[in-house]
Amino acid sequence: MTGTSGFSRRALLGATLASPVVLRHALGDEPIKIGMPCALTGPGGEVGEQMRRGAEFWIKSVNAKGGLLGRPIQLYAQDTAGDPATAVRKAQDVVERDGCRLLFGMTLSSEALAVVPKLAEWNAIFISSDNGDGRLTGSSFVPNFFRANTSGPMGTRAVALYLRQANFKNFYALGMDYAWGRNSISVFKDEVKKSGKNFIADIYSPIGTQDFSTYITKIRQSGADACYLVLQGDDNNAFLAQAKQYRLGDKVQLLTEIVDLNSIHAVGEAAIGLIGSSRYTFTFPGEANAQFVAAWKKEYGNVPDVFEGEQWQACQVLQAGIEKAGSIEADKLRPALETVEIDSIKGKVTMRACDHQGVQQGFMVKVVRKEGFADPIPELIATFPADQVTPACRQMTYDS
Amino acid sequence: MRLLLAAAALLALLPFGLPPYAMTLLTEALILGLFAMSLDLMVGYARLISFGHAAAYGFGAYASGNFLLHTSMPLPCAVLLAGLLGGIVAIGVGWVCTQATGISFSMLTLAYAQLLYAVAFKWTPVTGASDGLAGIPRNPGPFGVTWWSTHAGFYYLTLAFLLGAFVFCRQLVRSPFGAVLRGIRENEAKTIALGYNTRRYKIAIVAISFGVAGLAGALYAPFAGFANTELLFWLLSGQVLIMVIVGGAGTLVGPVLGAMFFLYVQQKLSSYTDSWALFFGVIFILFVLFMPEGIWGLIQSRFKQKTV
Amino acid sequence: MDFLPFLVTQCLNALSQAALLFFLGCGLTLIFGIMRIVNFAHGAFFMLGAYVGYSTVHWTGNFWTALIAAPILVGGFGAAFELGILRRLYGRDGHAFLMVTFGLTLVMGEVIRLIWGVEALQVKPPESLSDIVFILDEPFPVYRLFLAGAGIVVALVIWQFLERTRLGLLIRATSQNAEMVHALGTDVRLVRSAVFGIGCGLAGIGGVMAAPLVTASLGMAPNAVIDTFVIVIIGGMGSFLGSLIGAVLVAFVQVFGTYYFPDFALAFMYLIMVTVLVVRPGGLLGKEA
Repeated sequence: MTGTSGFSRRALLGATLASPVVLRHALGDEPIKIGMPCALTGPGGEVGEQMRRGAEFWIKSVNAKGGLLGRPIQLYAQDTAGDPATAVRKAQDVVERDGCRLLFGMTLSSEALAVVPKLAEWNAIFISSDNGDGRLTGSSFVPNFFRANTSGPMGTRAVALYLRQANFKNFYALGMDYAWGRNSISVFKDEVKKSGKNFIADIYSPIGTQDFSTYITKIRQSGADACYLVLQGDDNNAFLAQAKQYRLGDKVQLLTEIVDLNSIHAVGEAAIGLIGSSRYTFTFPGEANAQFVAAWKKEYGNVPDVFEGEQWQACQVLQAGIEKAGSIEADKLRPALETVEIDSIKGKVTMRACDHQGVQQGFMVKVVRKEGFADPIPELIATFPADQVTPACRQMTYDS
Repeated sequence: MRLLLAAAALLALLPFGLPPYAMTLLTEALILGLFAMSLDLMVGYARLISFGHAAAYGFGAYASGNFLLHTSMPLPCAVLLAGLLGGIVAIGVGWVCTQATGISFSMLTLAYAQLLYAVAFKWTPVTGASDGLAGIPRNPGPFGVTWWSTHAGFYYLTLAFLLGAFVFCRQLVRSPFGAVLRGIRENEAKTIALGYNTRRYKIAIVAISFGVAGLAGALYAPFAGFANTELLFWLLSGQVLIMVIVGGAGTLVGPVLGAMFFLYVQQKLSSYTDSWALFFGVIFILFVLFMPEGIWGLIQSRFKQKTV
Repeated sequence: MDFLPFLVTQCLNALSQAALLFFLGCGLTLIFGIMRIVNFAHGAFFMLGAYVGYSTVHWTGNFWTALIAAPILVGGFGAAFELGILRRLYGRDGHAFLMVTFGLTLVMGEVIRLIWGVEALQVKPPESLSDIVFILDEPFPVYRLFLAGAGIVVALVIWQFLERTRLGLLIRATSQNAEMVHALGTDVRLVRSAVFGIGCGLAGIGGVMAAPLVTASLGMAPNAVIDTFVIVIIGGMGSFLGSLIGAVLVAFVQVFGTYYFPDFALAFMYLIMVTVLVVRPGGLLGKEA
């Protein structure tokens, strides 16, 4: 720890005054700068907005309590429009021009994959709150990368574990034709075979598909009793709306890797009956989540969605790491982050040193109609322990 | 002419005054400038409007990316080879596209670009499919030469390529070859009547243009360290066409300025507001209405110099 | 599933898809045929139609009013844009239109995001069209039948409009020889504004109709632009019948091609486009070569 007396004096000042206005005027308090290049427009805009809001909410609450290490936090959020080239440019900007050594954001996995090779050069640490790509803790791992969120393979694993207890026997899978879709479905296929059930076939739709009638026909014809969907954004909404129009859900149970409120809001009734893994849901029980949801509702007027919750968790992890290290210097923060363990809104989350993945529970939800809510909501139906859901170090598949 | 020499000198001296992040932005602007200049050969000098120029750029990026990742070829060689490869492949593309003229020609270029995009999206061993190629190194040259690995070093490399390509293109358009191109631009029927096989000239300029664009893309891959399918997307084709027009078509210098302007404005606007696209769009519309000759045209009319 | 029900349902799927593609393509080809403008913003007008439809349904609770309001409002906005800005650019290079419509796309996309937000919005089809119907024992959404039917109706209406009405005659004449039309006493500028407005209005109605299928979202515009261009290129820029054929061809190839060869789903459209262009550079029914 550096300058202990100065540190505690500042902390005392911050604690007793506890007013953001006063903090702003406190001279000599170098703010902690966090850069956040994320997609605010373009594809991923919805998710990026959630991430930014989550970060802003956390920063506001931390600054109100005196900041982190007695220093106020300053967020440098920049729009990348979901383009990896722009993401690198913006990340460079916030690091080199604004002096940020901590990064959030990088909404799309393609943006993250483009940025992480540069983290060492910038001596910056990036904590992911939404990147699902298994390779970020596998073949593309770099020491300055930390993943606090549930990864794609973990989401698929939760679905697979749930299916072991369920009655479905024959499975079909539809995914978006790019890395995430293909990875998740290959994990799923593996899991189905391990559990002795029948995997009929998989099919991939190009990104930006608007008409899913052919895919719906294929699923229907296949004889499957359940279909695993790995779709997101507009593609996901279009599929769900059209599947409902074809009454596909009556014949085939639809399973999905991500259930988010935006999607439910966009398709309304068509989401009812959907069963899926959820990275975060406001209906998760426990005191920590209840407090978070209440505070969020007070600030924003509605309940938090998947990525708002995940961002909050990532912020909590960063906070724990910084407090443990007493510093934001990468060389001190890295080892601290590697052993962080927090009681998050989703339950216990333990960061592990070998691949910087946050080991955490997985859970399944079902979308149902509930009194008192305008839209259908995701209700928790199963929880799986962290050690069953998280893969082995640097792995994307499971042994048992 | 003096103006151009002054600009070149200024560009050469800039690294001494700028912070690293501005350097990287400037390097990227020069790469895009090279890209835009290549399109100007087709658009400004032969009136062959390509809607698919990103195909050439992306091709160059993937080519140099593969050379740098899988061989120990020195960086400048990888870049040159990638550009050359792009130019050669473009002969075939040019042959197909010049079957048509006018708007149909443009549409064929778009079709080619989108096909390449579709192929790249699935061809995992060569393009890494939807993830692209990451971690592209800046391979050292013989005797362990690595001056291009630093910010400033890579900038000078890019500047060298840009100036070299500029001189080459200028000589080309001032040569008899260039005269024929202008003839095609002004009145193709007449040029044919004069006995020229205009098709061959068109194919040639397409190949050269794609080759130079490939050079730009080949520089981008080691600059950014990655290459992905976004580099082949039609949105980029539209953007580079805008750069040419905003800068001033048919001037070679104009498009470089257009690229720098485009990148700078986009960067600046997006750091101030989420609605940067709105202002960006309005700027274009205003440009078209009030500055049709482009930035360079405006500068030239101020200094009353003859066009290239 | 037996072959006959499968064939019938897939054909109906293709027809409903063709209808949406036709709304987009027809407007674009009309605009190009008459004004030689490549309307880069066509996808944005399509998207605007979906959002206007959303708001109309939201306020009036009635989908049918949206079906009328959207094309009128979107078409009106298009005509206003033509009047205010495009009009100044006639006689200039074709570049100018490309730039301006590209700028318009950016502006519209951002304005829509500012007004309606970044989240996708649900547009429910009317109750009467929300059900399914059994065709040879296979369920098929009534809404898609409606789409296919609407496509046919609109195609007929436009055909008759171009053939039988005075404005239609003027439009066809202007596409062939604008100067002569002007010499004969008609204000060609009005014809142009009308055409741009009608073209955008058609895109707008396509947007409203697509919304219950795909939700109103910001991703609609870029997706629509490329689809529209492909159809119009295949059918021939400026040919109304060409846009119809192009839409039907692309829809059928997509539906059946994706069924039998899903890996090539992305490439199909472009393969057809390249093939057609190499064989007939002006498109199937195009006038330019």
